Amino acid sequence: MIVPMSHILAFSGAMFFMGFACVLAQRNLIMILIGVEVMLNAVGLTLVGASALWGQVDGQIFVIFLMAMTSAEVSISLAMVVYLHRRSKTLEADAFSGMKG
Amino acid sequence: MNPNLLFIIPLLPLAAAVVNAVAGQFLPRRLSEGIAVGAVGFSTIATLLLWPLVDAEGVRAELYTWIASGDLRIPVEIVFDPLSASMTLMVVFVSTLIHLYAVGYMREERDYARFFALLNLFVFAMLTIVLADNLLLLFLGWEGVGFCSYALIGYWYREKKNADAGRKAFLVTRTGDVFLGIALLWLFSLTGTLSITGINQAAFDFGSGTLLLLTLLLLAGACGKSAQLPLMTWLPDAMAGPTPVSALIHAATMVTAGVYLLARLFPLVSLSSTGMAVIAAIGAASALYAASCAVAQREIKKVLAYSTMSQVGFMFLAIGVGAVGAAMFHLFTHAFFKALLFMGAGCAIHLTGENDIFRMGGLGRRAPLVFWTFLAGALCLAGAPLTSGFFSKDAILLATFAGGGVFQRILWGVAAATALLTVFYTFRLVYLVFAGSPRAAGEAHRLPGVMRWTLPPLAVLALAGGLLNLPVAWGGSGVLNSFLGRFAGREIHASHALEWGLAGLATLLFVLGWLLARLRYRPFPEERISPARDFLLRGWEADRLVSAVIVRPFTSLARILWQRGDRKGIDGFLEGTGHLLMAMGEGLRRATTGRLHSYLGGFAWGLIALLGWMLLRYAF
Amino acid sequence: MSTVLFYILGFTALAATLMCITRRNPVHAVIYLVNAFFALALLFYLLGAPLVAAWEVIIYAGAIMVLFLFIIMMLELAPMHTPAGPGWKRWGPVAALSLILLCCTILMVAVDTGSSQSVPFFYVSPRVFGTVLFKKYPLAVQVVSFQLLFAAVGAYYVGRSERLADREDKS
Repeated sequence: MIVPMSHILAFSGAMFFMGFACVLAQRNLIMILIGVEVMLNAVGLTLVGASALWGQVDGQIFVIFLMAMTSAEVSISLAMVVYLHRRSKTLEADAFSGMKG
Repeated sequence: MNPNLLFIIPLLPLAAAVVNAVAGQFLPRRLSEGIAVGAVGFSTIATLLLWPLVDAEGVRAELYTWIASGDLRIPVEIVFDPLSASMTLMVVFVSTLIHLYAVGYMREERDYARFFALLNLFVFAMLTIVLADNLLLLFLGWEGVGFCSYALIGYWYREKKNADAGRKAFLVTRTGDVFLGIALLWLFSLTGTLSITGINQAAFDFGSGTLLLLTLLLLAGACGKSAQLPLMTWLPDAMAGPTPVSALIHAATMVTAGVYLLARLFPLVSLSSTGMAVIAAIGAASALYAASCAVAQREIKKVLAYSTMSQVGFMFLAIGVGAVGAAMFHLFTHAFFKALLFMGAGCAIHLTGENDIFRMGGLGRRAPLVFWTFLAGALCLAGAPLTSGFFSKDAILLATFAGGGVFQRILWGVAAATALLTVFYTFRLVYLVFAGSPRAAGEAHRLPGVMRWTLPPLAVLALAGGLLNLPVAWGGSGVLNSFLGRFAGREIHASHALEWGLAGLATLLFVLGWLLARLRYRPFPEERISPARDFLLRGWEADRLVSAVIVRPFTSLARILWQRGDRKGIDGFLEGTGHLLMAMGEGLRRATTGRLHSYLGGFAWGLIALLGWMLLRYAF
Repeated sequence: MSTVLFYILGFTALAATLMCITRRNPVHAVIYLVNAFFALALLFYLLGAPLVAAWEVIIYAGAIMVLFLFIIMMLELAPMHTPAGPGWKRWGPVAALSLILLCCTILMVAVDTGSSQSVPFFYVSPRVFGTVLFKKYPLAVQVVSFQLLFAAVGAYYVGRSERLADREDKS
């Protein structure tokens, strides 16, 4: 396995910013959530790479925690998507501006 | 007789004041009036009954210790000596008559309870001044009369003018009181006591500079209360009050409190010859100033107010030349005839519904009783031979002339000129009000009997008041002077020839003034408008002077502090902070669009900043 | 060999992600994402984390993405019902922003000399993994379990049917 750490980081960075761009550009709530998933996975790649670099198990363990947290987050956010869709029949993120000051 | 009975004299009016203040509005009108008049009347009777208590050294009675704190011990103690006894008798007697008069005068007022409560309270406070053997107690009464004066001047407070006049009187006299208060504190720090007797005894040990300053401080206090130069502007305005108030407070009693204070502390005051000279000069100057103003006044009560100021100036002059006996003599006679004049003026106002003497006229035939009694008072004021005013004023002129120095001669000249002016304005008043044909346009009232019948006793007293202190040269024995004993001030050494000469001169002045007034005012003259007349009418522009020298700089300073300091500085800073925070909040409010993407955008920019900063840190 | 595999898989993952994020139809996006996750799982395996790779497939690609699909289907989000995807107007600035950020990141990585060293093959067996997980992080495991429990309750509460919600609000 002759890969420099910097390449792993570059891949994970590219993926992270793709997810980021998705979150910023898309207006569909589901697509925004998908962007978040992409970002989380990019972080996971970094963690695994770092775990291998330093020869520590902890990085991989944190990926597990990350997955567990992600499942919690996704279940809640998808429930809210269902709720919002039921309430206003749309998934347009800009339609929900109740926090406008 | 138990000296403690003396407390009945001041406490009766106080009790009546309390009753009237608390329950006056619920009592029948007659009862309320009866309580007020009765209390003062019984005070008079009590004074007469307790008269035998007087002895030359004074009888003391202590009620209780008011303040005891360390070295300071202030007993509520009154002293009944010839000076205070005679003053007390005058105060309660005149008060009784004026109370009676007020019953008639205030017949149509609804707010009689407040009036009588304040009037009684005033009598109590005045008696406190007179009887107090302690300067702090005296000061209590001093402030008490000031308050009552304020409240009674502004009795018809619904009109702003009257309330303003009350405030003015209060503030101006308060200016004098500050000096008196300083004098009190200083005296206490010097002697460790505030007892008048103690202070008078301790005064011999003071340095001359201290004595002079103390005298000037006391004089300033006296000037404020007695409307002498330069604290005199309040008295003409004080005529906004009801006429009985003017008669009682601003003619007979309160304005003479300054004279009484100086007479009480005469042993101290007399030790400073410079101070005495200042007192005499202030008295003479006030007398001349006020007499000149009185010549031009149009309102009947203002003429009398200025004349009061002028006569009190005579008393100050007498104190200043050491003739306390003459001062007190003039104080008493003045109290009688000035109260009489004010009451007569009240009747005239009542009868014509006018204040302006140029619109009165012809009252002599309509109300002979008022005319004759007023004339009696006017003769006394003018100093017609053999009336009380003649003797008392003469005593002052004599004492001044007998002083001997050039300074005294100048003062005498001023006083003689004032006497001439006095005669002139008095007869001007009499001719304009009572002679000629009626010119009044106002609504005339019927005169209540009680108002009319209080005049004759005073008239008799005024005319015959000279007997109180008939000089030896006239075959009398100087009763008041010998009664006052050690309080009478310095002995006057003058030959009978000088006395007769001065009396002749006074008679001459009287005749001269009378003739001038008769010539000018007997046929009703059209009023001439001239700058000089306006100048005198407005009291030598004293009000304008005060406002230019004191009020306006103070106002502009206050405005600067208010607008620059407070509004722009403090408020500006605080409001500016508030506005800044509000603007910031407004900006932030606009940042919270409620849209997900703007938040995420912010997040992105933050990330860029963070990464950029880390890059920079790596690079350099 | 594995190096070549790494780059192939890496670019596959990137390409799948790119396709995923630009889709308008969420169903397509999810499918591409599953694709990307498979590639990612293989990358994990290459980096010596077979357990993580397995879970990536099971939990992410298997469970979470299926949940997404269920929701999409449940809401009947036909392409016409979904909001139109962003056009170039939208993508332009966002892409620029992301590229800048990516450049910054890569620059930072490049500047850091430590990052150029190669990653050794570090195999973690499930036994070692489990030992470390339960010995070193027992508290974190507890916390995460509770987190999942709360998420389940929360999801039930938020997603309960309208009729039920009305009845509960009234009572």
